[in-house]
Amino acid sequence: MVAGNPLKVAVKVKSREDLEKIRKDILEKRDSAKLTVTICSGTGCRAYGSENVYDAFNDEIAKQGLEDKVTMRSTGCHGFCERGTIVVIFPEEICYLRVKPEDVPEIISETLLNGKIIDRLLYEDENGQKLTHESDIPFYKLQNRIVFGNNKFVDPKNIEDYLALGGYSALSKVLSGMTPEQVVEEVKKANLRGRGGGGFSAGVKWETTRNAPGNIKYVIVNADEGDPGAYMDRSLLEGNPHSVLEGLIIGGYAIGANQGYVYVRQEYPLAVENLYVALEQAREYGFIGTDILGSGFDFDVMVHKGAGAFVSGESSALMSAIEGNVGEPRPKYIRTAVSGIWERPSNLNNVETWATVPLILDKGADWFKSIGTENSSGTKIFSLVGKVNNTGLVEVPMGITLREIIYDIGGGIPGGKKFKAVQTGGPSGGVLPESMLDIKVDFDELSRIGSMMGSGGMIVMDETTCMVDVARYFLDFLTDESCGKCTPCREGVHLMLKILNRICAGNGEEGDLEKLEEIADTVQTAALCALGQTAPNPVLSTLKYFRDEYLAHIRDKRCPAGVCKNLISYSIDSAKCKGCGICLRNCPVEAISGEKQKPHTINQAKCTKCGTCLEVCPENFGAVIKLSGGKPVEIAGAR
Amino acid sequence: MREGAVDYIVKPYNLNVLEESIQKALGPVQAEIKARKDEDKIITGPDIPLSVPENIRSESSSSALIQTLLAIQAQNNYLPEDALIWVSRQLAVPLTRIYNVATFYKAFSLKPQGRHLVSVCMGTACHVREAPRLLDKVTDTLQISPGETTRDLQFSLTTVNCLGCCALGPVMMIDDKYYSNPSIEELKGLFESLRLEKEAV
Repeated sequence: MVAGNPLKVAVKVKSREDLEKIRKDILEKRDSAKLTVTICSGTGCRAYGSENVYDAFNDEIAKQGLEDKVTMRSTGCHGFCERGTIVVIFPEEICYLRVKPEDVPEIISETLLNGKIIDRLLYEDENGQKLTHESDIPFYKLQNRIVFGNNKFVDPKNIEDYLALGGYSALSKVLSGMTPEQVVEEVKKANLRGRGGGGFSAGVKWETTRNAPGNIKYVIVNADEGDPGAYMDRSLLEGNPHSVLEGLIIGGYAIGANQGYVYVRQEYPLAVENLYVALEQAREYGFIGTDILGSGFDFDVMVHKGAGAFVSGESSALMSAIEGNVGEPRPKYIRTAVSGIWERPSNLNNVETWATVPLILDKGADWFKSIGTENSSGTKIFSLVGKVNNTGLVEVPMGITLREIIYDIGGGIPGGKKFKAVQTGGPSGGVLPESMLDIKVDFDELSRIGSMMGSGGMIVMDETTCMVDVARYFLDFLTDESCGKCTPCREGVHLMLKILNRICAGNGEEGDLEKLEEIADTVQTAALCALGQTAPNPVLSTLKYFRDEYLAHIRDKRCPAGVCKNLISYSIDSAKCKGCGICLRNCPVEAISGEKQKPHTINQAKCTKCGTCLEVCPENFGAVIKLSGGKPVEIAGAR
Repeated sequence: MREGAVDYIVKPYNLNVLEESIQKALGPVQAEIKARKDEDKIITGPDIPLSVPENIRSESSSSALIQTLLAIQAQNNYLPEDALIWVSRQLAVPLTRIYNVATFYKAFSLKPQGRHLVSVCMGTACHVREAPRLLDKVTDTLQISPGETTRDLQFSLTTVNCLGCCALGPVMMIDDKYYSNPSIEELKGLFESLRLEKEAV
C-alpha cells in the first residue's frame, strides 16, 4: 500500500556530520509548499476503511495525472479516533474528518485544485463554528503532544520522514559526545517515570542494570499492552516505530547492552509489520548494527511476538516468554534488572517510556522537568474511551485535571447522560467518582485516592453502567488471565468472582461485602506478582465510592443502573401502549403478544432481557419500562 | 438431538450402521480439512518455517519455540500433533513442554479452527457500550458459544480482550474486517455470504 524506502542508501551513516548531511539532502528534496495529503492509517482508522480512502486518492490522482503536484502520505494514528478517517492536507493543515472514498473526487477537485474548503467535512464545535486547522480543534489544542504529535507527519514505512523531523539526532549526539554514565544521569535528572504503569524511575532502573555484574545485558521494549481499552502503545509502535527504536539504542548504549528485544503482542499485526520495516531501514542506514555512527558501539534488535496472555506483560513473565517458556512471573527477591533473561541483567521499559528518551536527550532534562508536576515530569498518553464523546488518544501534561480531560478534551458524556465514574489503570486500577474530577492527574495523586495511572487506559462510565457489574467484569478478566502459579491469586480472585456473580444474580447475602474485603486483603498481601496484588483494586475502589449500589443489589435485589439481567425486567405500560406491534415484531424470542391497537404484554418466562423492545418503542409512546427491584430504572437524557 | 447430537442409533447395535453414522457426522469436517489441504493451507513437517534466527541459535534454540508455534498456528489455523512432534525434535524441547506452552497461551489451538474467525471484543470500553448484548446476538445467530466451532468447520467464535478500536465499540471482527454494533440481520447476511463464498470456491 505504501511506497518502500525511496532513497536507497548505498553507504551507512558513518558519523554525526554524515547524518546531518543526509538530513539536509532529504529536506532539500522536499518542497514544503507542495500539496501533501496525509491519511491516518492506524488500526482504528483502518477499521473505518482508511485504506479505501487512500486507494481512492491514489487512483484519482493517477487518473488526473497529478502525481507531480500532490504527495500522498499514509501516516500513523492521529488520535482523534471518534472522527476517523482523518485526512490532513498540508501545507495549510486543512483537517477533514470522517472522510469516505466517495468524498475523494470532491476533495481533489475543490480543495487540491481550487483551494476551496469543503465545509461539511470540517470539525464543528458546539456553537456550530467550523474549524479548519487540526491544531485549532479543541480536542488537540488542549493537549501537549510532545511524544505522539509526530505521528501525523511520519509514514512509518519511510525512515526519511523521521529523519526529516530530526530523527536520530539524539542518538548521534549521545554517541558522539556523551559517556554512558552521563546518559544515565540525564535520564535520572529528568525523572522519567515508567509509563507502563509502575511509575518507577527509568534512570534508576538503568543505573541498576548498568551496575549489575555481567558482561552480557539486555534492553527490552514491553509492547505487550494488555489492559483492555488501552491502545496508546500500539499507535506509537504502528505510527512512529523509529522513535521507540532510537530510545532503545540510546538505552542500550547507556546500560552497556548490545542486544535489544521488542516483545509485542501478536494481536497487533500492523505494529509488527511496521516494526520489521523500520528495523530493516534502520539497519540499512547503520543506526542498528556494528560500529553505529562510527562510535564503536554495536547493537541489534530482535522482535518476539506474544501469544495471547495478559500476564506475560509482567516483566519477569515477559522475560520467561522470551526464553520460550510459559509466561509465569517469579518472585522478585532479585530484580530483573540484575537477573532477567537467562539470568542476565535486563532492563525493561514501556513503549512510551522509550519513545520519550530521545526527546530528553535532545532537549535536556530541564526541559522535560518543566512540564508536568514536581514528582511526575513530562506528559502521559491516555486512551480516552467508553461513554465519552471524543473517543481517542490524548497526550496531556501531568497535573491536568480529570475534568479537563473528560469534558474539555473529551467533550463530555454523549446522549446528555450523567457522568458516574472514570476507571483508570486497567484491571489493576480503580474507579473515581465525580467528587474526584478535580484532582490533578499524576502518578502519586491517582495512587493516593485509590486508583493508579496504569498504562493509560481511561474509561468513562455514565449512569447506565453498573459499578458492581464493572467489578465483576474485571474479576472475570483476571480469573481468566491469572497464570495459576500462586494460591492467593488463583483461588482468592476466583472466590471474589463467585461472590460477585452471586450478588449480580440477586443472591447476595449479608456479610458478603465483609467477606470480599477480607479476601481482598489476603490477595493483596500474599500474591506473587502485581496481577494478583492489584486484582482486588476494582472491587475495593467500587466498594469505597459506590457501596450503596452493592447494598441495593444485596438487600433490595435492585440494580440501580438497570444492567444486571437477573435483577431487571421489562414490562409494557398498558396505559401508554397503542398496540402498534413494533416491539412484537422485533422481539428475537417472540416473548411479546397482543392484538393490533390493543396493549401488548411481555411473557416474563420467555424474555431474555435483551432490551430490544425498549429500543424500538416509538418515543412518543414510551410504553416500555425497565424495572429493577420493583421500581422503574430512571435514566436521564436521550435513550 | 435438541442439545446438538447429530444422530442416534437403536439397540442392538449394528457395526455397519454405527460406522455409517460416524462417517455422516464427520463428513463435513473431513471435507473441510481435505479442502484446506487442497488449497495448500495446511503444512506439516519440514515445510514448517523454523523461525530461529542465527544469533539466538547458539543461545537457546528453545527460545524460538513460541515464535515457531505462532507460525504454525498462522498457517494451519491450529497446531497439528505431527507438527508438534517435529518441532520437539528440531528444537530439542520435550513434547510435554510444548503442550504446556500451547495450552497456556490463547493464540494456540490444538483443534482445527473454523475457516473464519469471529472475534467479539469484550474490552472494558466495549463492555461499557453493551458488548455482552452483541455477543448474545452472535451466539444466537451462529448457535455456538465462545470457544466453539460450528459443525461445518466454517466459523469459530472467540472473545478477545481488546481490539483497540474503542471508537467503534461495541466492535467485532470477522477475519480481518471490523464491524461496529451490527444488527442480527446484518450478522445473518455476513455469515451466509461467507458460507456461500466457500461453496463457490
